[in-house]
Amino acid sequence: MTTAARDNTQARITTRPRPLINEYALTAALFLLPTFAFLFIFVLWPIVDSFRLSLYKWNGVDPNLTFLGVDNWTRLAKDSVFWRALRNNFIIVFLSIIIQLPVGLALAVLLDTGGRMFRFFKVIYFLPLLLSTVAIGILFKYIYDPYFGIINATLEAVGLQSLTQAWLSNPRIALFSVIAVICWQYIPFYMVLFLASLTGIPQELREAAYIDGATENTYFWRVVLPLLRGSIITAATLSLIGSLKYFDLIWVMTEGGPVNATELMATYMYKKAFNSFEMGYGATIASALFIVVLVTALTVYFPLQRREEDIAG
Amino acid sequence: MRRITRYASMLMVMAILLAAISACAAPVAAPSGAAEPAAPGEAAAPAAGEVSFEFWHIQTSTPELLQNAVDRFMADNPGVSVEVVPLQNDPYKTKIKVAMGAGNPPCVFPTWGGGPLYEYIQAGQVVDITDFMQQDGYVDRFVPASLSNVTFDGKVWGVPVENSAIAVVWYNKTIFEELGLEPPATWDELLAIVDTLNENDIAPFAMANKTKWPSSMFYMYLVDRLAGPEVFAGAATRSGGTFEDPVFVEAGQMIQDLVNRDGFVEGFNGLDIDTGQSRQLLYAGKAAMELMGSWQISTMRAENPEWVAANLAFFPFPAIEGGMGDPSNVVGTVGDNFYSISSVCPYPDEAFKMIQYLIDDASVAERGAAGRIPPVVGFTTDDPMLQGIIDLIGNAASVQLWYDQYLPPELGEVHKDTMQALFGLEITPEQAAAAHEEAAVKFFGQ
Repeated sequence: MTTAARDNTQARITTRPRPLINEYALTAALFLLPTFAFLFIFVLWPIVDSFRLSLYKWNGVDPNLTFLGVDNWTRLAKDSVFWRALRNNFIIVFLSIIIQLPVGLALAVLLDTGGRMFRFFKVIYFLPLLLSTVAIGILFKYIYDPYFGIINATLEAVGLQSLTQAWLSNPRIALFSVIAVICWQYIPFYMVLFLASLTGIPQELREAAYIDGATENTYFWRVVLPLLRGSIITAATLSLIGSLKYFDLIWVMTEGGPVNATELMATYMYKKAFNSFEMGYGATIASALFIVVLVTALTVYFPLQRREEDIAG
Repeated sequence: MRRITRYASMLMVMAILLAAISACAAPVAAPSGAAEPAAPGEAAAPAAGEVSFEFWHIQTSTPELLQNAVDRFMADNPGVSVEVVPLQNDPYKTKIKVAMGAGNPPCVFPTWGGGPLYEYIQAGQVVDITDFMQQDGYVDRFVPASLSNVTFDGKVWGVPVENSAIAVVWYNKTIFEELGLEPPATWDELLAIVDTLNENDIAPFAMANKTKWPSSMFYMYLVDRLAGPEVFAGAATRSGGTFEDPVFVEAGQMIQDLVNRDGFVEGFNGLDIDTGQSRQLLYAGKAAMELMGSWQISTMRAENPEWVAANLAFFPFPAIEGGMGDPSNVVGTVGDNFYSISSVCPYPDEAFKMIQYLIDDASVAERGAAGRIPPVVGFTTDDPMLQGIIDLIGNAASVQLWYDQYLPPELGEVHKDTMQALFGLEITPEQAAAAHEEAAVKFFGQ
């Protein structure tokens, strides 16, 4: 291969130059190959194989797979737990976007305008993102503890006994208790993202706006927010996909319980594939999860992207 | 010439691509391809005049204990060599299934008894060791209860060796003394205790049911006390029983009555036993009792030795007036792990002899020193609380293996999900029974 490369170089020097595009393409292909092979083996192929497995009944260890056709998919369509999980996923998507993004943005603006004064808070607000999810889950399990938890203790101390709750055990509340923790964990991420964009806005724009008679308010709504558009779309897309695939904190805090109250597609998939030894049905749930994420992301992302281009153009 | 180079490079690219594709296709195809040998090294192929076989176990916390036993066996039996293969618990479950499926299991392998062992037996993979066990009354060495999880169709298929754990009610004896309470002999007496504790603002039962199996212990005991072990066995093996038997509904009803009587701590379905949330309630005196396995002794001693010394005591699950089940029955597992011989093993005689060394007097002494309860008659310990558990096991007419271990995994998960819903009052006892039955019919096809 080195010889071939040298041949090429010499050829280019000695004979008239040919269009470089082919050599570029070849070089590019060779350099991309390892990445492509990696992606193929660890991303593309497992997805394809999941779809294949979803057509079988398999306990995960038996050498023999039983072909079922679409039985797993019809079972999925009738599985009330799956639909509940899907609904829970969309509740998380909705609440994550309307809570995490505005709060993250507000904190970013605050830190940006506060400047040096708030450097200390910058570090404090960033901390949740640095903790491991499992540690956060265990921490909040203690915070939510109905007997020893700080939340119920505080409520009792200020005379609000009637509001004390078994936060993670009440099926009507458990999901929201966990979502609160998810928000607590991820707001710093969006804060940092927006803070970076805010820092990138040139100071001249502010001065120009003020010369034109803009107030602090109009400057934010008319100048800053439109400039953050790209970051907001990125943040919303990340939040959307992350919420649909969500697994870890729910698993640590509730394992999808009590009685499927906090079940998500990913936790349900894990339970079926690895606890119940129903690998085929687990693969069906995984494939459905893939389709849901793909379709949702495309329907949200492309229209936004196109409007972005319209505006830019 | 350059063109040739270009084509050559393109060919190479494609070749690498193809290699990549086939390389990743191979392992995926393996599960359906079957016959690949999964065990490290063959058990068969004896050299002339020499006997050698493999022995798998999962006692990774005390591997030397088993190695010592095997060394004693080999010293006494020159010409026989045994390769001891320790494996981690969870990988083992996969490995043994693959090895069995490929017709290449080790001579001696461990099981938990119950449903999974019965699957291997039905597949003709396990040696019937009834005759070995009967020889010279060897079987009398074992606590009778320890054999119930390895006895199927009137035959014995495994030797109980490792440990015993049963569920009992742990309680705070200081609270009981202060309130003038006595350990209950019957369910009604227990309900009276529940009421007294509630009047004194102490939660009766601590329970951490996020992982779902703790609540199953109540259900198993109630079913056993109401009807004995046969009803569950009949339903779980599909030999004439059903999960819609009135006994299962009645047990579910008694559980929901207890929940409605405030028998449990608040929010139990969200508490996590792995982070000790139920035990903390006992330590703090907020709850007075917990139904839990006998491993509770060592867990609590590690966490809070002073509290254990001052407060911890236990009583067996109470009897139910009019119940058909023998109140001496216990729920748990006695003798687990059990060691069985695979039917492809060319040396069953030697294999059985080796298993006997695993539970000979020297091995029993070593296990006792490690804080375990080997399932042999007459085993005693200086620890009075552990001795109390040993006595309960020794006197038990039968031992009900944990449902979620006894049932195939798919049904075990349904059972646990149903228990959490039942205790959370999300479903009725009839729905709980029907959910079990539906899953069983789907799994067994009948």
